[in-house]
Amino acid sequence: MRGLLGELATGTNGETVTVTDMEASIEHMSRATVRHVDAMLMVTEPYFRSLETVGRMAPLARELGIEHVWAVANKVRSSRDEEIIRSYCAEHSIELGAVVPWDEAIQEADREGRALMDYEPAAPAVVAVQGIADLVEDKAGSNGRGERG
Amino acid sequence: MKVAVAGKGGSGKTTISATLSRLLAQRGHKVTAIDGDPNPNLGVALGMSTERLGDLTRVPKEIMEVKEEGERRTLVLTRPVEEIEAEYGTEGPDGVRLMVMTGVDHAGAG
Repeated sequence: MRGLLGELATGTNGETVTVTDMEASIEHMSRATVRHVDAMLMVTEPYFRSLETVGRMAPLARELGIEHVWAVANKVRSSRDEEIIRSYCAEHSIELGAVVPWDEAIQEADREGRALMDYEPAAPAVVAVQGIADLVEDKAGSNGRGERG
Repeated sequence: MKVAVAGKGGSGKTTISATLSRLLAQRGHKVTAIDGDPNPNLGVALGMSTERLGDLTRVPKEIMEVKEEGERRTLVLTRPVEEIEAEYGTEGPDGVRLMVMTGVDHAGAG
């Protein structure tokens, strides 16, 4: 997957956006895997072990030279949840890109084997992901669409 | 623009990857979604039918080879990327193209 990721983005058409759902385990954040990535979204739930994973990934991502590294808070049920993630990110100098609320529609869509987008296009979680799309568009526009080698 | 979505298993990265892909496609971007998880379900999350996913061939490991330059090891494609996309990509809702990778050989992790 590693080489492909880089080639895909620089090969055909500079305007293509690639979104890669990565392997969960952290050892795959090796040099080759993400060398050509412009942005890394680190999805985290509001509990310690999930945050710790992000805490380990962020320095690696920076070391690899990834330009934009964001945490994405997910399954946030309360302001307390959000606060836990915010303070962890602040302590570890990680930029929080978006806060995605807990959303029943995700489980309901999953139960039916459907996409959240089709099941409930205006679901709160979808609205939050629009914010991530804004971030990606903004950076894609500002740093020239990824001809960084 | 190349975006990688990472996180602990169960954190919801697949739903976020799929939703982000669909939204960017709806905004007019050409989007390729890549499933790099050994237990792939990005296709379902994108809203693709099971028939369609059943027909999908995973991108084989053989399309990549390790190139060594001194200390540095990189994986390079053995075929043009356009060809790979044409052969292994499938078009889904909102025109998002999906490619599913074959489980990664951990020994090759550099």
